[in-house]
Amino acid sequence: MKKKILWPILVVFVLLIAGCSNESGGESESEGSGDPEENSDSKRLVIANGTDIVSFDIHDHNNTSTEAVHVNMFNYLVRNDAEEGFVSDLAENWENIDENTWTFTLEEGVTFHNGEELTAEDVKYTLERVANDDTLLEYGSYQQIEEVEILNDYEFNIHTHESEPALLNRLSRLGSGILPKDYIESEGWDVFLEEPVGSGPYKLKEWRKDDQLVLEPFEDYFGEEPKWEEVVFRTIPEDSTRVSEVLTGGADIAVNIPPTDIERIEQEDGVSIVTSPSQRVMLFALRTQGDYPTADPKVREAIDLAIDKEAIVDSLLEGYGTPTRTRVTPGNVGANEDLYDTQVYDPEKAKELLAEAGYENGVNITLSAPNGRYLKDKESVELMQAMLEEVGITAELEMLEWSAFSTRYSDKDFEDVFFIAYGNSMFDASLALQRLTKEQAAGETDYDNPETEQLLQDAMSNMDPEERVEQYQKAQEIIAEDRPQIYLYQIDSIYGVNDRVDFTPKLSEMLYVDEITLK
Amino acid sequence: MKYFAQSLLKTIPVLFLITLIVFILVRVTGDPVSLMISETATDEERKALRESLGYNDPIYIQYFDYMGDLVKGDFGDSHRYETDALNLVIERLPATIELAIASMVIAIIMSVPLGILSAIKRNSFLDLFVTGGAVLGKAMPNFWLGIMLILFLAVNIEVFPVSGRGTFLHLVLPSIALGTGIAAEMTRLIRSSMLEILGQDFIRTARSKGLREAMVVNRHAFRNALIPVVTIMALQTSTLIGGTLITETVFAWPGIGQLLIQAVNLRDMAVVQAAVFIIAIFVILSNLTADLVYRLLDPRIKYD
Repeated sequence: MKKKILWPILVVFVLLIAGCSNESGGESESEGSGDPEENSDSKRLVIANGTDIVSFDIHDHNNTSTEAVHVNMFNYLVRNDAEEGFVSDLAENWENIDENTWTFTLEEGVTFHNGEELTAEDVKYTLERVANDDTLLEYGSYQQIEEVEILNDYEFNIHTHESEPALLNRLSRLGSGILPKDYIESEGWDVFLEEPVGSGPYKLKEWRKDDQLVLEPFEDYFGEEPKWEEVVFRTIPEDSTRVSEVLTGGADIAVNIPPTDIERIEQEDGVSIVTSPSQRVMLFALRTQGDYPTADPKVREAIDLAIDKEAIVDSLLEGYGTPTRTRVTPGNVGANEDLYDTQVYDPEKAKELLAEAGYENGVNITLSAPNGRYLKDKESVELMQAMLEEVGITAELEMLEWSAFSTRYSDKDFEDVFFIAYGNSMFDASLALQRLTKEQAAGETDYDNPETEQLLQDAMSNMDPEERVEQYQKAQEIIAEDRPQIYLYQIDSIYGVNDRVDFTPKLSEMLYVDEITLK
Repeated sequence: MKYFAQSLLKTIPVLFLITLIVFILVRVTGDPVSLMISETATDEERKALRESLGYNDPIYIQYFDYMGDLVKGDFGDSHRYETDALNLVIERLPATIELAIASMVIAIIMSVPLGILSAIKRNSFLDLFVTGGAVLGKAMPNFWLGIMLILFLAVNIEVFPVSGRGTFLHLVLPSIALGTGIAAEMTRLIRSSMLEILGQDFIRTARSKGLREAMVVNRHAFRNALIPVVTIMALQTSTLIGGTLITETVFAWPGIGQLLIQAVNLRDMAVVQAAVFIIAIFVILSNLTADLVYRLLDPRIKYD
């Protein structure tokens, strides 16, 4: 009886597995095992990401890692390069002709992956879609655009509702790719989302969700010929697995390497650690009004002086971060470099300030923070709690799972202080500081300093770039003293890279694969 | 047959209850809008998005709307992927089934011989080794075992690929990681079940009429010992699915488990509902199958 029942079941199981495996087998022949040195000349680039792309709807994802893949398939009008500033992509040249109007000239002879030519019509369709549809996640960053006026096939004007000095920043960030109007209108969005068409150097070959996304070169690309024969973006959520993939040569580049795994990679021949500052700045947001102890500027200053940011970066991030007193870090328009790579740390003075504020016997505050959202978030907050305790500030920690945290954040429902990290996909001070304008700060930090407000409002619409930068720099100095937000440190992006490729990470975390080359 | 028809009918209210519980849990524990939108979004942008997704309606209206669509077989669209949630789940199903079957095969291959041997050689060194191993296997969390397997068999000795799905080799490590805990449970059960059977009268009869020991063990004892094992195998379906949540994440295996974890994190309600619904159906079906096989193995059991 045992034979009668068990063996047929086993045979069926094995056949089923063999059947399932064959279905997707055969394509991944070079994945996985092998030394890092193996396949050194292969023109197949494998990048291990922590999450899969969300969608091919470039206007509805709000996700840096998704955009990092999209930039290889779609082109922006202009690209914002941290070193060179704004450089041509689809737009050959551009000019700001009056307060509310910018004129652009497109490169001629640009075609989409389906062979259609990219013209001003496509630009109009793309930008007006995201500027008018308030259900799209990127709407907020493009709603400043009033209309795209077509002059001819290759020339168009962009009119903004109000003067918009940061228009080029908006056009060179997340979701700025240009979409094929005719293709989308004739085939519909559902088809586009399955078979996306862009104008970039690579086109989609295959997307197996949460597994891998494969790109192949687009032969008729208008720019330089694509360098790779195949580019694979793999999704590997578990950090240690991603590290193992880069160690064994299964991936050429692995993103988001945790500091604890850096040594593992550095010890192995054929793989290295490559880092770059990121746009992410960790900060405290504090209540500046009401019955909260933090309403007293002396208490806020004491909190800042009590925390040794350098020590946190060195001990928890293995040195891969930079203390900062501003959120507008180098590489952003309006950055105040005097406030970068510096900290104020003086526990003795913090104690004095507390005494002056009437808290000789200490003060209690509530500190809310997300758990598991940012690199070493819990550890950092616990370390800061201990530092605060040293000067007499007893911080009661409220560690929240991300979804609970973000709900409270949306509702502006935190007590004295909360810990958060902000990025800045605009590379402009306006996005970094807008949360401190009176209107947006209401209910959160309740920050209200007329001088700062005036500077921020003026800069928001100032078309004189130099004066605008000065206004933002001045605002940052005041904010650094007023402390509605206490900036702690900027975190670095850490990548594990196979030595066969040359990879220089970007501040924007975009992965332009044609800038990654074989050594 | 009447019994099975009745059992199938009973699953309908169970499935309804599951949708209600999932709905409440997903909604109560987090706001999808704040998770979707950027941290720097303004209040107006949040409001517009909330309105467009229908989250401004009272929660019971949302539930009724949702159920209205559900009875038509429409789970709604995933917020994250902007596509039909049920299709997303069904797309991932083959990967999860493949992993689950392979893990079960590994569990059977490990547990059947070990369980029988340790019962026959009771209190021997081998028995001690097997029972000790079973306790260890059960105690090891599968994510830890997964990471260790990767370290030793994919990084140090490069025998298997680290992660991903593709060839037969990709399947080996995740199914060992997932199968070991189940093998441990089954080994202990087969052992104790065999011990109980081996002590019974009919075994003594079989031995006294001069049957070979192998025949006694294989034909008489094991077949009877199989009955509780089949039950436990079916009950392990839920353990297996729970295990895939973690194993799939560790091994970057693109199945339902990974999808579900991400959907929960983003409060992508339609996907959570669809995935939990499909999983529930699997668990219910496997329990029913266990009933059937049970009856097949032991004709004394009657339900009607």
